Amino acid sequence: MRIIAAALAGFALCAAANVQAAYPDRPIKMIVPWAAGGDTDNIFRPFVPPFQKALGGATVVIANVGGASGTVGAREAKSSPPDGYTLYAVHDYIHSTYYTGVADVNYWDFEPVCLIASTPSILTASPKTKWSTVKDMVADAKAHPGQISVGATLGSTSHFFPALVEKAAGVKFKYISYDGLAQRMNAILGGHIDLTDGNLTQKGKVDAGQLKFLASATEKRMEELPNVPTLKELGYNVVYAVSRGLLAPKGTPNEILTKLEGACHQASQDPAFAASMKSQGTDVHYLDRKGYAEFLKKNDVLNKDLSRELGILKR
Amino acid sequence: MYELLLGGVENILHLHFLVPLFLGTLVGLIGGALPGVTITMTIIIVLPFTFGMDPLQGLATMTGVYVGGSAGGAITAALIGIPGTPSAITTTFDGYPMVQKGQPGRAVWLGIWSSFLGGLLAGVFLIGATGPLASIALEFGPWEYFSLFVFALSMVAGLTEGSLVKGLLSGAIGLAITIVGSDPIMSVPRFTLGTEFLRNGFPFLPVLIGIFAFAQLMTDIEKMGPADHGAAPLKAPPLTVSHLKVIWEILSRPFLLVWSTLVGILIGVLPAIGGSAATVMAYDQAKKFSKTPERFGKGNPEGIIASEASCNANVGGSLVTIMAFGIPGDAVTAVMLGAMTIHGIQSGPLFVSQHPDIAYGIYAAYLVAHPLMVLICALGARLFLRVVTVPKSILIPNVMVLCVIGAYALGNIMDDVVVLLLFGFIGYALVKFRFPLAPLILGLILGDQIEVNLLRSIMSDPNPWLFITRPISGSLLGLSVASVVFALWQHHRHKGRITEVEDPDF
Amino acid sequence: MRLTQNSIAGLICLALSIGMLVLTRGLPQSSFVPVGPDFYPRIVLVIMAVLSVLLIVIDLRQQAQGTEAPAAATPEKRNYRLVGVTYAIFTGYVILLPLVGYRAATVLFVAALQAVFESPRGARRWAMVLVSALASSFVTYVVFNDYLSVLLPRGHWTGW
Repeated sequence: MRIIAAALAGFALCAAANVQAAYPDRPIKMIVPWAAGGDTDNIFRPFVPPFQKALGGATVVIANVGGASGTVGAREAKSSPPDGYTLYAVHDYIHSTYYTGVADVNYWDFEPVCLIASTPSILTASPKTKWSTVKDMVADAKAHPGQISVGATLGSTSHFFPALVEKAAGVKFKYISYDGLAQRMNAILGGHIDLTDGNLTQKGKVDAGQLKFLASATEKRMEELPNVPTLKELGYNVVYAVSRGLLAPKGTPNEILTKLEGACHQASQDPAFAASMKSQGTDVHYLDRKGYAEFLKKNDVLNKDLSRELGILKR
Repeated sequence: MYELLLGGVENILHLHFLVPLFLGTLVGLIGGALPGVTITMTIIIVLPFTFGMDPLQGLATMTGVYVGGSAGGAITAALIGIPGTPSAITTTFDGYPMVQKGQPGRAVWLGIWSSFLGGLLAGVFLIGATGPLASIALEFGPWEYFSLFVFALSMVAGLTEGSLVKGLLSGAIGLAITIVGSDPIMSVPRFTLGTEFLRNGFPFLPVLIGIFAFAQLMTDIEKMGPADHGAAPLKAPPLTVSHLKVIWEILSRPFLLVWSTLVGILIGVLPAIGGSAATVMAYDQAKKFSKTPERFGKGNPEGIIASEASCNANVGGSLVTIMAFGIPGDAVTAVMLGAMTIHGIQSGPLFVSQHPDIAYGIYAAYLVAHPLMVLICALGARLFLRVVTVPKSILIPNVMVLCVIGAYALGNIMDDVVVLLLFGFIGYALVKFRFPLAPLILGLILGDQIEVNLLRSIMSDPNPWLFITRPISGSLLGLSVASVVFALWQHHRHKGRITEVEDPDF
Repeated sequence: MRLTQNSIAGLICLALSIGMLVLTRGLPQSSFVPVGPDFYPRIVLVIMAVLSVLLIVIDLRQQAQGTEAPAAATPEKRNYRLVGVTYAIFTGYVILLPLVGYRAATVLFVAALQAVFESPRGARRWAMVLVSALASSFVTYVVFNDYLSVLLPRGHWTGW
């Protein structure tokens, strides 16, 4: 009987300890709405250790709530209690899935915490194509409208980027559904698709002659790729990057948000995190709460316009 | 090349790498053996620990988890009849009956040694054959994948015990479960009846845990008489067994061992299929080639050998594919690939030449993990035994709690636990109606992939004849038809010879 | 002619597939996909329906010929009551989990199920059941929540 009493007392103590304590006094759940090992997961996992350190050694646990194009995670994040113990890792899909009618959740259902990184897109072609420049590709696309196959997650960022190119060059592509970078790379290596949205992580395959980088969607040439032109210098005004940041459920107390924002700022300056981002072809791009809120607002309008032009706007 | 490999093995044997590898293998074995804790979950749990390590240390740990996990599933599969990991499903078919016959040592060690031999064979073979195998896999377009999955599904028809129609219907139910929820292309909600809950569909893991765990547990419970409510603890069956005899039992079937290993490697190399399909296919092949197919499911050692050899061979196949091409074969290798990227390693054709130390280090870790795994099993055999000696009245509630945690853990959401409950009912009902479960599981595993590849084919080219006129795709579809016809013929022959009442349980 | 197990199974599957086929009507099409989201489900459901009919037909024919495999004699008495009670307790567990939290719900669940299995008599036996339930809950919580980073559910009612 004594054991039971002791155990019960132990439970009671744990319960009492949870009532009043400085934030954070228990593990924080960071919802990543895609599978472990995906692009977004790879950005946020190295972010967690410096973020934990900046939060005074608190535990931050990544929960991969995948499924239904990332909308299951969105729903879970929205319905979580606004107590600072749930964070939500997002990228631009939060706008596009709303406007294409895939999700009922948009950025205004959350409090912005910070933007941490952006990954510039690179127009990537299969080695089985005859093109060596964007010009070749555009000429081919004009000669064969609707024949150039593009691998993309329909209605998401990898769809929007080639669609911008399509619009700027005045051509027509054929889209084939491939979810996630890994699947698209598999298909493009085998020549099953001609063109896709890639990024710097694929440089190894380009050096081996298995892939071709046609052009990057950056303002200036990327320093790792001095020989790859930007779309802008070729006369196509397309600048595109996938930006990733943190949100918290609507109604999270101000002081908690401030604390998280500070930790985020500190973590984004961590050299190990910077090195990890560099190896993934990603720029560390910190924006505070205010800056991120403006960024989200601007990005939302952009995504709405894009969806309308693509003919997939549902609201 | 073999010099490099020797160098890699020498490197791995330093304590700096050996300790993480050992710990990884141990954790993998435990995770693999616990029902409801999959290798995927184990490797996700291990992942954060590897960030602080150097790249090879981290990758060695994960390789250990992968190898250990694939073998660990066999222990629970045999001893309590619940697959510790999905890929150990087929080990339950013969391992559990063998334990019930009073040969737990033979069942468990047959599994472990088959894993060991199959894994090593795959390792040695693959270090030489990486390039050509992976380039074959790369040539597969959506048409080929579609046909390959259809072929895999048709083969499982041969696994069914009773009627072929029932086996096929079971596969169709598996496919039907995967069409509920958002469609994989545009995320249009289907069959959701307007609810948010069904929008995510039925995630694979909770469904699998629910169907298998409850089918098994409830069948156990219904046999508990009012008198012996778990009161009598099982007598500790000795796990001791003559290892030489067990190894000879495996080696005396060289064709079975090599063929199962080849099936495992092939499925491992092909992306996105995964270990469960490998073991199911190898088991089916073993049954078809066997002189005594009717003994399968009743404690036939061949069933255990095929299942476990292919399971660990599959690990070897997947590893090579992610190293050479950066294409994950399943969720486990997807996590490993992610870990490589985080450590700044570009996987791809240049990987082996640019990072020979790491590449051969991984090969070496893979090879060394196998003897480590056997060593840990030998030392921990008594511990594993505890699982069977715990009274059922304590074991069953705790296994159910672990199932709940397993369903909950990957996504950390309660919806998955509700799915577990729902399929807990369905699983038991299916057993009561004597539906074979293996085709259903394969349908579940492949359902989404079949749909996605079918639609990709149509989006690439609307010509339906391409499925037949593309040579690889066409031959695979031809083989699918042949497989069903063969199964029909075998059933016919079987019926003429013996009419035996099948045990309604597994 | 009586309904056998196979016929009932066939009828249930047939009903399910037809019901789901009805639900495939009116799904929105996309301009990017030549076939709609209803294309593949219809193929699967039609196959399922055909197989269900086949199962029923074969079953009825076997009955007519009298070649039906002899129904498995039930050699031992099955304790279906216990199965029902277990399902009920497990369902209660799943309902309670998000309300009272993992720790409390697990103690209740393990204790209840173990009590049903063992029907303990006397304070000593009851104490054993309670200790083992507390131990299960405590050990799994510490291992998974504190060491393995699985954030187990906390109760909406109890916040714990």
